[in-house]
Amino acid sequence: MAFSSALTLTDLNDYIAPSQACIKPVEVKKSDNPQGSSEIKVDDQGGYYEISKDGGEEKLEQASITLNDCLACSGCVTSAESVLITMQSQEELYKVLRANNDGSQPHKTIVVSISPQSRASLAAKYQLSMIQVHQRLVAFFKHHLGVHHVFDIAFARDLSLVEGAREFIERYQAYLEQGGDALEKQWQEQQQQQDTSAPRSHRRQGGRAQQQQQQLPMLASSCPGWVCYAEKTHGEVLPFISTTKSPQQMMGSLVKDYLATKTNTRPDQIYHVAVMPCYDKKLEASRPDFFQEEFNTRDVDCVLSTGEVDKMLTEQSVDFLQLPDVPVDDIFNKVGLDPVTQALTAYGTEGSSSGGALEYILACAAKQLFHMDSVSTANGRIVIKTGKNADFKEYFLHADDGRVLLRFASAYGFRNIQNIVRKVKSGKCSYHFVEVMACPGGCANGGGQLPPQQLDQVTSVAVKDWVQHVEAIYRTCSGVPPDANDAIQAVYNEWMQLRSPDHVAKLLRTQYHAVTQNLGNPLATKW
Amino acid sequence: MPQLELVATLEGHQDRVWQASWHPTKTVLATCSGDKTVRLWAPISQNDFSTWQCIDTLEGAHKRTVRSVAWSPHGNELATASFDATTGIWENDARDNSWECVATLEGHENEIKSVAWSSTGALLATCSRDKSVWIWEVETDNDFECLSVLQEHSQDVKMVAWHPTQETLASASYDDTIKIWKEDEDDWFCVDTLQGHTSTVWSIDFNAKGDELVSGSDDKTIRVWKMYEPNNTQGIATPYGQPVWKTVSTLSGVHDRCIYSVAWSKVHNHIASAGGDNVIRVLAKDSETLDDNAPSWNVVASVKNAHGVHDINAVAWFPTDKHGDWLASVGDDGVVRIWRLIAD
Repeated sequence: MAFSSALTLTDLNDYIAPSQACIKPVEVKKSDNPQGSSEIKVDDQGGYYEISKDGGEEKLEQASITLNDCLACSGCVTSAESVLITMQSQEELYKVLRANNDGSQPHKTIVVSISPQSRASLAAKYQLSMIQVHQRLVAFFKHHLGVHHVFDIAFARDLSLVEGAREFIERYQAYLEQGGDALEKQWQEQQQQQDTSAPRSHRRQGGRAQQQQQQLPMLASSCPGWVCYAEKTHGEVLPFISTTKSPQQMMGSLVKDYLATKTNTRPDQIYHVAVMPCYDKKLEASRPDFFQEEFNTRDVDCVLSTGEVDKMLTEQSVDFLQLPDVPVDDIFNKVGLDPVTQALTAYGTEGSSSGGALEYILACAAKQLFHMDSVSTANGRIVIKTGKNADFKEYFLHADDGRVLLRFASAYGFRNIQNIVRKVKSGKCSYHFVEVMACPGGCANGGGQLPPQQLDQVTSVAVKDWVQHVEAIYRTCSGVPPDANDAIQAVYNEWMQLRSPDHVAKLLRTQYHAVTQNLGNPLATKW
Repeated sequence: MPQLELVATLEGHQDRVWQASWHPTKTVLATCSGDKTVRLWAPISQNDFSTWQCIDTLEGAHKRTVRSVAWSPHGNELATASFDATTGIWENDARDNSWECVATLEGHENEIKSVAWSSTGALLATCSRDKSVWIWEVETDNDFECLSVLQEHSQDVKMVAWHPTQETLASASYDDTIKIWKEDEDDWFCVDTLQGHTSTVWSIDFNAKGDELVSGSDDKTIRVWKMYEPNNTQGIATPYGQPVWKTVSTLSGVHDRCIYSVAWSKVHNHIASAGGDNVIRVLAKDSETLDDNAPSWNVVASVKNAHGVHDINAVAWFPTDKHGDWLASVGDDGVVRIWRLIAD
């Protein structure tokens, strides 16, 4: 930029130095050297040594940032997030498999957990059914690569749903006790006023946040893209986020605590891989909250995206369609015989490809709080309204006399998240629960899913319809509610016996940490 | 030759002034500054325009420089965009004639560079160094809902400007391009990317009809762009069935340094431009232009050192024919000047 004739040196800089926005606090260790000066030597391998006054050399530690440090804040020294994310890749899985084969490391039990959304994406590409995809993945991982178990995240998801519903009901009841019942009456009145087309009057009274100590709205927690964004930019909404673990991390606890204890295996002797629809799940897996210090191991060691698994098939020269239909594992799966066809089929959960938390919690709350057994859009007790765009929907639970008992919403995508956050921060959020997801279109449209494919001439799917196509395949797994899943109930009971009810209760929950700007960071100083 | 005559000098800001916005109907000018305030100016009498006073100062809402200010089309609200990453919406309380910040729009990650209201006042657009353009919808109750976050620019977005009649938005960026945005069913998307400038595009403005756009750039040129609809007679291809914009005039040599601001008068069709060479210039389309697809534009008036040795950050024409020949300019000297274009 040319200087103007006044030569005013002001903030001319448009260049964003990567370290400016870095939120990772840098420890500046005070040097022992009282004089304060030091000499640095670089050897021919590129190693740095500090030469102290008496001539002794000390090798300097290489500054590094690992995926554990990464909160996707986009202010990183290694600004290519992809560099960090490749630390969790299929290469790591191949390494562990090789180590098992050549005995160079102690043997590890390798477990792969597959998410229903990843299955749907593969099913769309290869034009198979959900169960066929799962069986072929079992064949690929177990028989071809040497993995020991292949599990279905849908199994662990039931645990996440039940715990989420339990948390919501606790919070709703606490909310009522802390003055929420008066607020609810107010909403009812306003609802009636609106219904009789009265003009919208003054601003809604009473910041909800002050009154009920942040019990409601409860915001969904299973999307790490959303959670990391909230931690980094909107720390004030963290108390509203559900503390229930996501299905991925529930499976992590099931594998590394329940299964480890049951099979008398140390958690660090298990290598747990999860196949997920996005890359943010890798960040979730490497959170310090999901790290077992005692055994120096993570609940989920490695997350592979659907795309990475598809790449593995190519790398291993495996024709996915030619793989046989093999039996699935007998535990941690949600499959059964379809009563009509008597064929093996995979079961899912009611709701969108983002996991169905909203639908399940709504149904549970209707039953437990209002004693309504059967609620659906068919019997008019649930009314769904689409908002300004397709990724924002409102769900209302109506009593038979027409009163609105519960107000839920689903908000997918950045712009809808902005609106929800703004409403929550200003106390104007009228919803009791919001299913917040970072990706428009839900998890079927995750960043790690397979891109729209050129299928054959008969069944071509337009690019813009691809996500809906994947979602439709996802929904072919008929919903079996967690309450009807005896297997998960049995596992849960056994887990409480193997460990203790308190221990298990703690493992089902997690916590969040707001990222604070460390203004003392010397790297952040602008010169 | 026409001339630019100085009408009044408005002093009061404590730091550089970044932008000026005329009230849509009244003779009131809003200016925003590095001193974190917005000042409203009006002439002390309707007979003598040579002396103006600061009738109001809007302060206390922003923690950093206020970079952009814009009146709503009905003149009852002011939007202020700040380097503190928030946009303030202000209303005048008629009872005691005081200005109150009634809403604060958050969401941008860092400095907001520009704010603009759509022609009906139903939408608001902001853009920022975080490379995004946000579109907000004005709801009742001073609630603003985020309609879309557009992240297709690859660099800092310097300015946003709405089409004079349609809900079409243009944005100018450090990535050397201008993008045109429209709404489609569910979301907003980029309809066209105008390439041609070889450096940052600092400023853009539509003409009165909205079929032409002027842009001023760091590459020291001004470009006039024309919109070509699908099935146009000139045979310009329009893929995707959307209008495309093409440069019809490139004016180089008019300024010696970067151009920070361009303004296209909706009254008399002249273009004003100013920037780092401290000169304000007024350009008029050559009336003998034979081909509308290759018009000539000529400098008809200029003022050297309009703000002394300081950069001129913005110029703004009076929006109606009440004072259509007035041009406001603001600069790094902290001073606001009002000029009149006198024909001869």
